[in-house]
Amino acid sequence: MTATTVAAPRVGVVKMASCDGCQLTLLDLEDELLAIGERFELVEFPEATSRRSEGPYDVLLVEGSISTPEQAEQIEELRQRSKLLVTIGACATAGGIQAMRNWGNEPEWRAMVYPEPEHIESLAQARPIADYVKVDAELRGCPIDPGQLLELLTALRLGRRPQLPDEAVCLECKRLGQVCVLVAGGAPCMGPLTVTGCGALCPGFARGCYACFGPREQANVASLAGWFAADRSGPDVDRLFAGFTGWSEPFREHAARAVTHFGTGNAETSVQDERTTDEEPGA
Amino acid sequence: MVIAAGNVFLPRARLDALFDLLHEGGRTIIGPTVRDGMLVLDRLERVEDLPIGWRDEQAPGRYRLVRGATERAFDVVNGQMSWKQFTFPPKQKVGMMRRDEAGSVAFAAVPPDPPRLAFLGVRACELAALGIQDRVLAGGTFVDEDYRARRESALVVAVQCGRAGDACFCASMGTGPEVRGGHDLVMSELDAGFVVSAGSPAGERLLARLPGRVASPAEEAEASASVAAVRAAQGDPVVIEGLRDRLMDQLDSPRWEEVADRCLACANCTMVCPTCFCTSTAITSDLDGRVNVAERHWDSCFTAGFAKVAGGNFRPERSDRYRQWLTHKFATWVDQFGTYGCVGCARCITWCPVGIDVREELAAIAPPAAPPEQLLTRPAAATPGRFEVVTLRASQRETADTTSLFLQPTEPALLAGLPGQFVMVEQPGFPSLPISVSRYGTDELVLTVRAAGPATAALIAEAPGAQIGLRGPLGRAWPVDRALGRNVLIVTGGIGLAPLRPVLDAIVASRDRFGEVLLAYGARTPSDRLFTDELERWAQHGIEVAQIVDRAEPGWEGRVGVVTQLLDRRDFGRRPTVAFVCGPERMMQATVTTLRDRGVAPERLFVSMERHMQCGIGLCGHCQMGPYFVCRDGPVFSVGELGELFGKEGL
Repeated sequence: MTATTVAAPRVGVVKMASCDGCQLTLLDLEDELLAIGERFELVEFPEATSRRSEGPYDVLLVEGSISTPEQAEQIEELRQRSKLLVTIGACATAGGIQAMRNWGNEPEWRAMVYPEPEHIESLAQARPIADYVKVDAELRGCPIDPGQLLELLTALRLGRRPQLPDEAVCLECKRLGQVCVLVAGGAPCMGPLTVTGCGALCPGFARGCYACFGPREQANVASLAGWFAADRSGPDVDRLFAGFTGWSEPFREHAARAVTHFGTGNAETSVQDERTTDEEPGA
Repeated sequence: MVIAAGNVFLPRARLDALFDLLHEGGRTIIGPTVRDGMLVLDRLERVEDLPIGWRDEQAPGRYRLVRGATERAFDVVNGQMSWKQFTFPPKQKVGMMRRDEAGSVAFAAVPPDPPRLAFLGVRACELAALGIQDRVLAGGTFVDEDYRARRESALVVAVQCGRAGDACFCASMGTGPEVRGGHDLVMSELDAGFVVSAGSPAGERLLARLPGRVASPAEEAEASASVAAVRAAQGDPVVIEGLRDRLMDQLDSPRWEEVADRCLACANCTMVCPTCFCTSTAITSDLDGRVNVAERHWDSCFTAGFAKVAGGNFRPERSDRYRQWLTHKFATWVDQFGTYGCVGCARCITWCPVGIDVREELAAIAPPAAPPEQLLTRPAAATPGRFEVVTLRASQRETADTTSLFLQPTEPALLAGLPGQFVMVEQPGFPSLPISVSRYGTDELVLTVRAAGPATAALIAEAPGAQIGLRGPLGRAWPVDRALGRNVLIVTGGIGLAPLRPVLDAIVASRDRFGEVLLAYGARTPSDRLFTDELERWAQHGIEVAQIVDRAEPGWEGRVGVVTQLLDRRDFGRRPTVAFVCGPERMMQATVTTLRDRGVAPERLFVSMERHMQCGIGLCGHCQMGPYFVCRDGPVFSVGELGELFGKEGL
């Protein structure tokens, strides 16, 4: 390939508390993977190569939330060794599903989950990377969108700003000609509050968006929650916000109530409520 | 039989012949069809693909397909998609740029290559919308060639509406319901078939080859009557006269903030609008920056990036964006294109996820010069002198001078009233009295009456079984719907709690739909407090109940003072608050002053005014206050509406 006249940027891909799904998105860019490999030097990417590097990095992609004291130290060090730090995915940008523990009693929950909790060292809260260090860009989603990742890499290479739209899922949903599952199906769809990027995937399968890309700018939570509350119980509305991005500031109040309800309330009711929610879009 | 000219009657069983004609030359028919239980515009292969027997039910924020009573093919008025999906595609590759090894660049535009389409089932409003987009995209100095090519290649078969959609207002916008032009063929659906006529030379040629016979005068008449009935059903919900100026005069209306509290800025209204034409073009480049592909996609004035420049955003707030959208549609569009940007198809109402109704917003922001009479409920026996007879089922002493009367009405309208409305009460030997309804039960009406004079004293002395006369419910209610999703503040003194009790009933019934609720209640003494057992019940339903009395009594451990003291050190600015205030006028004035100081907007501050009311329906003139008759235009007013009148003595 002739294009690589400048030194290939040194890229690292690391994870904190996460499932690895977002970093695997890089490997899912099958058509572009070779070209990316030729234009970027993937110096640290344990999912793909046993070759390791402790930096410095031109670009560091960070997956996962900060969940342990060790990670809290590690991210500070990584930041110092990275020119640009990009967080990828709901865990890194919003705390992820593990942030649901943030409202609970961490030692108690730890004891419930692990038979020998004394071996587990974890922070009381799982928090997004930006709570600890400066973040230069973020890719949202659970998992992130391959197209957005490619756009980010292209922009990094060309030295321009990545074009990552900050608009509601609804626009993409309508452009695709999908009929609104909220208005025509009565589904509790979070699309109007959620930033786009997924290609309006869930409404395309006749179910409501569950906000895995997190809140968009000016997400009018009070209005949509109020509308949903017209024919749903308060806990049912709260639960809509208690997902992958429940710890994000605009969703936090509702998510907190949902988690508290789940923690103290009747487990049987909660299971039943969720089933009802799942059935609605198809009904 | 082949007919040369005139209107043709096409029997229902021969609709396939129209499909065959439209399919000629490899044309694809696009029309309404049901896919996965949803109405879409898509490819139609045969007659059975039409939504036969289906009907749409539309309301703000709600759309449902239901089985209709007939087997008609075009009873669904419209769905989410408009024809712009095909004339102005949501995503369109518009060009490409390439830089070769030597550094020279080349551009390639994408030439128009329109598919050959026939649109089947285009409504009057949608023809108007196509006409508007023709002006915008192909009627000026610069032309969107792709749009023009798509428009020129498409055949348009219109359908006269046989039903009015529940939110339609084409009659107001002057775009329907009658099809007036812009079509090749137009069909009116009758039970037995279709009356078809042509609107263009291409249409004439098709019509000449359509099987059928000349439509009979009776069939023609039925077709005309059907669309006339649609017009009648619609009425004239948006007053167009002077709308442009009325709207542009309201750029500082407080309503923009109010609607922004509900608006999600999700852009759905603009996506479903058949005239909205805004787009953005995104560049996709390869990793080496050698090839750019430009794709244009529908965008919206509601998105964050739409008015953004390097230095910031010209329309940062939702209120800015809603104002931009509404004033463009109904005012500046006229300046730019000589027509409104709205055809009254109601899609923006139905497909708004939170049901914002543009008809209501226009009426609130830019009310017509002479507002139409607004009656929220149709009252029973409104005419002066006519009363419905009701029976006193029971009475209950509330305080030393106040009693609740439980009345059994047989007239349903009496139970269909709204919080804050009142009834005129007449009993033998006394003139009629206006009394607020203190509760609407399932089969009974409760009036809570203080003995303030001989007539009220006589009323509360009536024994169970006694009959009295009622007219009502009358007057304007507390706007409880304005308080949805907001914090609610109810401030009242003494008997003033009675007309507010239905508000509290409504809040308790849907507690989750409101924010924090505070009831601040003042009374002369602890034993002058009404509904003491209910005060406790409301507190159990998540309503903060704060009480204060002028004078304590033995055993009273609560606060002593005036009701405004209950509002001290409270912050109402965090979340929009709607306040309902009822009590003696001086108490209301003090409360209003306090609340305005604490940031409650006058448009969200409601008071119930007291005046001498006799007829209750704005005919006798007693209760006039400035431009209002309190009985008819009130008794509930926002402080903003009253302006200078509020607190002015001698009015």
